[in-house]
Order: sequence, then C-alpha cells, then structure tokens
Amino acid sequence: MGSEPITLTIRPAESGKKWSDESLERARRIMARYPEKRSAVMPLLYLAMAEDGRLTNGGMEQVAELVGITPAQVLAVASFYTMYKRERTGKYLISACTSISCMLTGGDDVFEAIELESGVPHGETDEEGLISVEHVECIGACGGAPAVQVNYELIEGVTPVKARELVRWLQQERPATINTDEMQRHFGGRRSFDWAVAEEASAVGPYPAFQPFGTVGGVGEGE
Amino acid sequence: MTARETEGVLVTIDGKEVRAPEGELLIKTAEDNGTYIPRFCWHPRLKEVGMCRMCLVDIETPGGSMMVTACTNPISDGMVVDTKNDRVKKAQEAILEYLLINHPLDCPVCDRGGECPLQDQTMSYGPGETRFVEEKRHFEKPIPISDLVLLDRERCILCARCTRFADEVPGDPLIEFKERGYGTQISIFPNQPFSSYFSGNTVQICPVGALTATPYRFRARPWDLKAVESTCPHCTAGDRISIEASQNQVLRFLGVDVDATNRGWLSDKCRFGFEYLNSEDRLTNPLARQEGGTYEEVSWGEATSIIAQRFGAIREAHGGDALAVLGGAHGTNEDAYALSVFARDVLGTKNIDCRMDDALGTRLLTGIDRRARISDVDTAGTIIVWGPDLKEEHPTLYLRVRHAVQELGANLIVIHPRATGLDDRADLKITYRPGSGSDLLTQLRGGDRDDVNALLEASPVVAFVGRTGYTEGPTMAEAVASWILELEDSRVLPLARRANVFGALDMGVAPDLEPGRIAATETGRDTRQILGGLASGDIRGLLLVGADPVRDVPDGSLATSGLSGAEFVVAIDMFHNDSTAHADVILPALGFSEKEGTVTNIEGRVQKVNRIAPGSGQSRSDWSIIADIATALGSDLGWTSEQEINDAMMARVPAYAEASWDALDWEERDGVVVPAPGADVPVYRPEMTTQPTVGAELVLHSARKLYDDGVMMRKGPSLHRLAPGGFAHLHPDDARRLGARTGSAVRLVTKRGEAELPVQVDPSLHRGVVYVPFNQPGVGPLGDDPVVRVTAVGEPD
Repeated sequence: MGSEPITLTIRPAESGKKWSDESLERARRIMARYPEKRSAVMPLLYLAMAEDGRLTNGGMEQVAELVGITPAQVLAVASFYTMYKRERTGKYLISACTSISCMLTGGDDVFEAIELESGVPHGETDEEGLISVEHVECIGACGGAPAVQVNYELIEGVTPVKARELVRWLQQERPATINTDEMQRHFGGRRSFDWAVAEEASAVGPYPAFQPFGTVGGVGEGE
Repeated sequence: MTARETEGVLVTIDGKEVRAPEGELLIKTAEDNGTYIPRFCWHPRLKEVGMCRMCLVDIETPGGSMMVTACTNPISDGMVVDTKNDRVKKAQEAILEYLLINHPLDCPVCDRGGECPLQDQTMSYGPGETRFVEEKRHFEKPIPISDLVLLDRERCILCARCTRFADEVPGDPLIEFKERGYGTQISIFPNQPFSSYFSGNTVQICPVGALTATPYRFRARPWDLKAVESTCPHCTAGDRISIEASQNQVLRFLGVDVDATNRGWLSDKCRFGFEYLNSEDRLTNPLARQEGGTYEEVSWGEATSIIAQRFGAIREAHGGDALAVLGGAHGTNEDAYALSVFARDVLGTKNIDCRMDDALGTRLLTGIDRRARISDVDTAGTIIVWGPDLKEEHPTLYLRVRHAVQELGANLIVIHPRATGLDDRADLKITYRPGSGSDLLTQLRGGDRDDVNALLEASPVVAFVGRTGYTEGPTMAEAVASWILELEDSRVLPLARRANVFGALDMGVAPDLEPGRIAATETGRDTRQILGGLASGDIRGLLLVGADPVRDVPDGSLATSGLSGAEFVVAIDMFHNDSTAHADVILPALGFSEKEGTVTNIEGRVQKVNRIAPGSGQSRSDWSIIADIATALGSDLGWTSEQEINDAMMARVPAYAEASWDALDWEERDGVVVPAPGADVPVYRPEMTTQPTVGAELVLHSARKLYDDGVMMRKGPSLHRLAPGGFAHLHPDDARRLGARTGSAVRLVTKRGEAELPVQVDPSLHRGVVYVPFNQPGVGPLGDDPVVRVTAVGEPD
C-alpha cells in the first residue's frame, strides 16, 4: 500500500533580492493612493514586472510583503490576467487585435504578417529576447481597426505591409522608448479620431504606461 | 432584531409552510425543515459564494418563476419555493453533467469513493449519462501542497471550500485559485506550502477526493470503517471527534460539528495525532527492571505483587507521605477518581499532582465562580488573551476567538512577549518582557492606558488567562485573573495543558484538593516539591501515570535528579519515555480510543470518551491497574468496571451528579457543564500580588509550539517531522549587540541548563527577551528561571 510518505521539499525563495530603494519608494507612493494597501496589488505587479522584466516569484513575494497578503493570493491575481507576463517577454511586446472589428478589417492578416516577419509565433519570444508576439482580444480601438500595440502603446489603421515595417523598425532601430504618436506617424493609417493631445509618455518595456493610473511602464510620467 | 428576525417569516417550500428567521439562507431553512437541497460549495461554517450552482431552485416572483441559488438567497416573508420541479431537475442534471466533463471516473481507487458528495449527488440527482466524449483535462497528480495534504487537480470541481476555509477560518490563505477559465486550478505559491496548523480540515470538507491526507491515503474504504464519537485527547478544549477504525486499527479522526466546542474543526495535531495509537513501540506487557538495568516481561500478577511489596514496605517504614503520585491528566475522570482515592486511602499520601509544574494554581483552575464558557466569546464585547499563544497551545480556541473578532465584532487585546497567531486580528497588542508583567498589570489596573480603557468599555469581557511561558510563574496569571474579575461583567477562562487536567483536578489529583474541588484539610506536595523530595530522599516511592516529567516539567533537570534519586518508581504508560527509563516497574496502559469514560474540558464540560479498538498486548485501563495494586496492598476498592467508578464518582462529587454515561450517550450529547462553585464548594478569589521585576539584561521566554517532541508526536510519523526544532529567537538589537544573526549559533546558559542553538532574528520580540521553543527535538531543558546569559558561538562573517 502507498504508505511511503510523500515529502514536500520547501525550497528557498527564488530570489532573496529586494527591490531598489527607488522602486520601493514608488511602491509606497502607489499604496498611499488606496485606503487599503491590498488594493495596490495590480499596479504593484507592473512595478514588479518593470523590476525583473517579467513577473518572477521573487517579485510576487515582494508585492505580497508590501501589501500584507500571502504570495498565493498575489499569484491568484497575477495568473488571472494575461497582461501580467510570468514568462520571459521581449523588450518589445507586439499585440495584434483579432477581435471582431479588427478581424473584419484584416486583423488576421496583420497578425500573420507580424508572425512571419518576426519569425515569432503567438505567445512566444525570439531567442534574443527582443520581440514577443501575441494576438489579443479587443483593445478598444474598433474605430481605427485593425489595431496593433507595442508595449501597450497603440497604432491604428495598420496594414500587413506597415506591420512588417514596424517589426523591421523595432529590430533595426531598437528604440529606447516606445511612443504612440511616433509609431502612428510611421506605421499607422486611418485613425478613429484626432487624438488632439500629444501623448508624452513613452513605454520602456512590456508593461503599460497609463499615466492617469500611475502604472509604471513609462518615462515622462507624473504621479 | 426585528420581529421578523426573531419570530420568523413564513416560507413555502415544496408546498409545505415553514417559519424561519428572516434573512436566513434558503438552503439552510430548507434543510432544517427536512428538504435537502444538493450542494457542493456551500458549507454551513463558511461564507456563501454560489459557485457550484448545484443548489438552484425555483422561486415564484411577480414576473413569473425564477431560478436562484438557494445558498445565496435569504428567505423573505411569503416566499414560495419549488426544489423538485422539472426545471430544477433539469438544472441539477445539467450542472452534474458539466461537473463530470472533467471529473475523472476513478471512484474505485479514490479515497472519497463511498462517502463522496459528488458520487452521492450524481446518483441522486444526475442525468445517468453524459453527452460529452471529449478528453478530460489532465494535470500531474497528486501533488503535495503541504507535508500532510495532497492535491489531485483532475478531481477538483473548483468549489472553493478549501480556499475559503484557509482564508476565513484560520487566516492562512496559502492556497488560492490560479489561472482562469479552463486552466483554473487550486495552487500554492511555488515555494510556500500550505503549512497551516489546520490544513487537514480542507480534506474533511472537500466534496470530492481532490484533497487527501497522507496519514489516511489508501488505508481503508469508507464502508469498512466503523466509527464512534469521542472527545479529542490533545488539548483541553474537549473537541468532539469521530474516531474511525478498521480491523482494530484507528485510521482517522474527523471533526464533529458541535457548537459548544470545535464546530467541526480540528488542528492537524489533533486530526492526525492518532498514529501513536498504532505504533509498534506501544508497551504490550508489564516490565520489571532487572539487576543491570534491563527490563524483563513479567505477568500482571508478578508486577502487582512487586509493586505492592515495595510500596507497602516504604509505607510501613516511612509512612504514606514517603510515597507520591504524578500524572493522571491524560486519562478519564474515572481513572483520575480511582487514582485520587488510591493515593489518599490506600497509599496514604497527600503528595499527588496531575500538573507538571507548568500550570496554574488548582483553585484558580477549578474554584472561580465566573469561569467563562467557550461560547461566551461569541457574545463578548472584548476578549483579552494574556497567556499562551492560543494558536500554538489551544488551536480550536484560537479559531473560536478569531471568529468572534473577525465575524462578530468583538474587541481583542493580546498581551504576550512576542508575536502570536491572533496579532493580525488584535485591536491592541501589548508586547512585554517576562519578569515585568506586574509593572504592566499595575498600569492597566490603575487605568493608565487609555487604549486599554477604551477597548474595555465594550463588555462583557472574556479573558483567557494562563502562563505566557514557563519563565513566568503561576502567581502572575493569578494576579491577571484577579484584575479581570475586578472588572464589571467579566469572565475568565483559565488555561492549562493536557486533555483532562480539569477533570483530574475535579477528582482531586492535586495536593490541595479532594474529589469534588474541596480544599484538602492538609496540603500535600505539588509536582515541584515531589521531585525535590525524591531528590533529597524525603520521598522514596513514586507512581507515574501517563506522565513524563523529564520532558514536561519546565525544570527538566529537577525531574531527572528527582527520578534518579527515587528508591522505587512505577510507571503506567503507553510508551517508554525519558521518565520511564527511571522506573522499576512499567505497566502498559490503554490509549483513549481503547477505553470508555468521561473527560472534562476547560469550561467544565463533561463529555464521553468511547472505545473502538482493543489495546496493544496486555495493556489495561489505569483504574483497573490501580484497583489491582490496591487489592495487593490489602485494600479492596471494590470496583469491577468503569461504570461502577462513574457511579461512585457521581455520588461523591456533587458537581458531577448529572454526568452519567447514559445522559452523555443519549440526551446530552454535547456534554454536561459542571456547575460553578458556590453551591457545593466555596468560591475562590484569585489573589492580587506583585511580582518583583527581573532586572537581568536578557530574560528567557520559553513556550510551546503546537508541534514538539512529546511522545505522542514522536510516535506519529506524519507529525513528528513537523516539529520545527530548537532555535534561539533574538530581538534584532540584541542580536546586533551579541554579534549574532539568523543562522549563526549562540550559547545560552541559565541557572538550570544550557544549550547551543541556531539564531532566529525575531523583530516581534520585546527587546531583551530570548525566546526558545520548549521541548523541541534535540534541545535539553533550560528550566524556568528567567535569567539567561547569551554568547555568540564562532565568528559571524
């Protein structure tokens, strides 16, 4: 009978490393915006991604410690949402929308062009760690379909040809920051509406730089 | 409360009109009135989530009938419910067909098969066949989520009972849902196991075989088990359990939901603390020590006559007071009564004590009139815990307090030298240095602490009072109890260890009490004085009954010198232990699942203990061993069964007059609470005293962890490896000053012992306090004197 006890080895935490003082200070500012510390879990998870390039166990443990919940509870949140990347993600995350509006206007072809040009299939990253590719559900740009995002910065009215150019530009130019206005000028087409205000914030990694929400992905953001 | 909540509202369930309090959940109203609505996720002791959808019923609304989940819908006046119509039946069939898309049909090899809510409800409410032919989802299985619990994610139906339990009840949310949609699964964090003291409860409430516990896996089929209700033998809460056995082997304990005590929950130490009963190391025959120190098996007759001859000779030459009895707190009231009568009337000694020098005064434990009941915490305005960490020493009381604070809104004040399990729920935590408790108490009594005064305004006040650790004497707790009783509308629950210590005290297994909590006219020696007397030669003969003073007495060196100095020692026990090593005769005793009787819990609740398996070898009940020794000593006590002792006990101890076996077995299945002193014995008023402040730079705090190196733990393979081992916890400032850090070693020297231990830097400690868990594997006793000298060993890098 199966009487041999099954032992669970308790491994040491993945990394004992703590965040930089700057990140910890930033975490404290984010937490101060909420009446309950644990409400800050989601923005802090982006901070954790910015710290390690992806969401590591160490990052989740740090978030848990900061907001006073268990790492298991942090993992429950982090694993529910697709934008928290727990796998290695490239410097540039290209997300092509294949939901209905984009699909009807050629979104599938745009996505295929990105896959072929980059050689990276859905959900994967190139060997160099430069580009990750994914198709995603609606990103709220139906008026400017088909739409593509790089590091969650939006481009509207993308064609397969422009999509290939976008991939080559990222591979060759390797821009330090990703700016939506700049990409729209070079690779975009018909826009849903005139954005009027220039988007100053630029993304610096595969995590969003939503200024009003104090997420962490950008430069030039106020808090 | 509104009239509708108290008098109830009228609801029609399947054509039958019933009355129940407004707001009660429909699923409960239906069940209480004889209509069972099938369910998986709903559990009466957890918050409702409405996740499994199995409890869908039809209710009539002005807009026509509507399907709702009975587990999330409160009843209201005039509600008309149909739980059995075709629409409901179709919904139930659909839910079960969906659940079985992925649930494997491995019932023949599943531990839950035969007692599985999914299996049973599929038989009763399911469609009988499925339209799904697709491959089921697959996971690696089973995976360990803790040292005791294994998870089979294929069997899991995602009802969230385990995750809700972990979060809501013990406050250990270490398991959670991971991923989403089709990939949803229960998970721990990668390097953080579900190491909750209460993890086994998830196995009991899992509605499928997804969670299994290593001590029971593949040991039995439910239909081969026989069960008997009994009382948990581990702590003094008197938790109700079902003992289940097959082929005369106890295979598992289940918690029984009794509102008076444990509400169905058990700590893992209780739940899995049955393995020792089946240990191959159990004593099977009487043993007599030979020249040269080896033991030989002897017959019961030989053993009894050796004991009678030696005890008789000591009694003759030096008087009965040269004999002493230690122990008796692990047995039944019947055993304790027999022991008390035997010591006083046969041996002729007043030197008898069931406490191992780690408890409070006997009068505080038995004699106060405002002793709280466990259920008093539910109505408390403020709960004070000034004593041991309830999570470590009284785990189900910990759950009860947690629930009262978290769900019922009681204030909580915790006073302890370091972090305790309740701190996260405490409105106020006061951390203090052992040896300066009196200073703190003076402040509190004088009303100098506004934070305390404000919380105490919410009454009634219920206080758990005990020794926070062994370096703080019982008089401190006595003073705390005295302060609590000075407050208006307050009650005290004095804490003590060992399952039946309260019963044993009521039966007079104490130097200053006779059976019936009556103050003895002449006080005998307590445990400490008995051990001292043995060492000095004043006492010559000792009877140990289920006692291991070498391990259990805080000053273990005193116990060792006492036992080595004794002329003749008899031990009645289930195992060899560090104390029986000093015995001349060792007699094999029955375990608690092998005998029948009554026990008394912390609040004075007398409950039944029942037999399910025979003992090992020739082992016998304590009372019958004692009766035989009495006869050999020339005093026939006339008892031939536990039942007769129970009768004698009821006659002699007025407080127990109602606690007959018949009543406990049939009418009073939650037990009978013995009346508070006042009617039969005088009420005791705890004494307010002031302890001198200990001025040493560092003081020792020595207290138990749930898992330690006690013999019941050591003989249980699943639990024993959970003992954390010895550590010296130092405050960061003290560690820095001493040049120590986590992982480095320090040497501790006290008046009564020394040890070299790895350091754990522990910011939760009061500065100047060194905490060492008591009785951990490989750590010798440090005694109960608070003064400790600490030096770093080796150079920290």
